[in-house]
Amino acid sequence: MHFIFSDEVVLLFDFWSVHSPAGMALSVLVVLLLAVLYESIKVGKAKLLYQAAVSMSIATIQLTEETDQDSLGSDSAPVSRTHLRWFFCHFGQSLIHVVQVVIGYFMMLAVMSYNTWIFFGVIIGSAVGYYLAYPLLSMV
Amino acid sequence: MAYNSTTGPHHHHPTTPASHSHGRGMDNMMMHMTFYFGFKNVELLFSGLVINTAGEMAGAFVAVFLLAMFYEGLKIARESLLRKSQVSIRYNSMPVPGPNGTILMETHKTVGQQMLSFPHLLQTVLHIVQVVISYFLMLIFMTYNGYLCIAVAAGAGTGYFLFSWKKAVVVDITEHCH
Repeated sequence: MHFIFSDEVVLLFDFWSVHSPAGMALSVLVVLLLAVLYESIKVGKAKLLYQAAVSMSIATIQLTEETDQDSLGSDSAPVSRTHLRWFFCHFGQSLIHVVQVVIGYFMMLAVMSYNTWIFFGVIIGSAVGYYLAYPLLSMV
Repeated sequence: MAYNSTTGPHHHHPTTPASHSHGRGMDNMMMHMTFYFGFKNVELLFSGLVINTAGEMAGAFVAVFLLAMFYEGLKIARESLLRKSQVSIRYNSMPVPGPNGTILMETHKTVGQQMLSFPHLLQTVLHIVQVVISYFLMLIFMTYNGYLCIAVAAGAGTGYFLFSWKKAVVVDITEHCH
């Protein structure tokens, strides 16, 4: 098995079969956008985690201030609300993680087709995605 | 040398010269190149592991699910181990001659791991385990079997949800003002 230049490939699914140069160009574009999406999801997940941690620490600081002011037993509702918020936050992050894992494997399988155009699409898409997304990581 | 794709729905037969070796025991010429759902004659990683019935596929689904969950847990565990071992700071004090003939104690502070320390060796062993499991998961996904791929994805998501919960709480407490 080796890399070939070809206008015919079947990518991932039965219905995604390419026979012509136009179809190949479109497929390369789709794979490129998929790679850009993969890199942006990686950055997006890190930012979401950071924002969730910041908002949860603010919420817990407010919660401790409230419980210091009124030391009655009325602090059960805010605690469960905070926990519920954290649960939904974390569930959303887990779904994003599943999408990231699946897209990563799809890109691996696309490269496994051993079609050089598709390979270029994945590489260039990863480069473009990294170039666009990673500066956003340091911006707060 | 381009290989011609046949019009069959699932199987692609690569027409290379090496495929005419019937007497050599190479019976794995049919590699799926698109996603399919099935449980007949599914080879899984090793030569003895062949799935033929629905029950065996269910067992393989659970095993792959647990493997993907374990992989996510291993990643989180290595991160927390690394953070814990880097908290320890070593101080080295050594006497140096100072001015006027006095002896001064110079203290060096080193943060991080030594090469032969136990935490670093443990991290290396766990890294090898992580690399091997990640390649196994990649090979499982490469079977293009829909059930097994769903097991990998679901196991990764569940593992991330369960193990990263605790990690996020730790991050919440220990890292402030970032």
